[in-house]
Amino acid sequence: MDSFSSSPSSGSNSQFQSEQLKNQLKAQLAQAYIEQFMETISTKCFDKCITKPGSSMSGSESSCISRCVDRYIEATGIITSTLFSSPH
Amino acid sequence: MDPSQVQSAEFAQFLAQEEQRAKVGEMVIKITNVCWDKCITGTPGSKFSSSESSCLSNCARRYMDMSLLIVKRVQNMQ
Repeated sequence: MDSFSSSPSSGSNSQFQSEQLKNQLKAQLAQAYIEQFMETISTKCFDKCITKPGSSMSGSESSCISRCVDRYIEATGIITSTLFSSPH
Repeated sequence: MDPSQVQSAEFAQFLAQEEQRAKVGEMVIKITNVCWDKCITGTPGSKFSSSESSCLSNCARRYMDMSLLIVKRVQNMQ
């Protein structure tokens, strides 16, 4: 019982495909955004925390990076709420 | 309008919305990038100082003000 191909209302089939396409697009856009965000964090935190690259990552370097990631995400939140909540 | 036309119009609107969302996201990434450099001068700590957080939000506002100024200025030149 192939209801899609033999359905008289082909509108409902293309409606479904349209929804699928929209969801796929949204997922790809979200993915691209996340990748760009991660790349920015990597650049900033490498600059801040890995000042003299050694033969392995030190404990202070990795804790600096953890804090840096947290702070950068926090900074993004501050900027988002500054621009999109309070009117000035 | 037949169903396919309705769908095209709807899809065009969907694309316009997603494009707008993407632009907004770009702007936030850009401004955070710039303002981080301006405001977080030392090694990142376990929280922001109050001067760091106010610097970040001031920076975002001033960046937007500046963008508007630039547009006006360039428009006046044409």
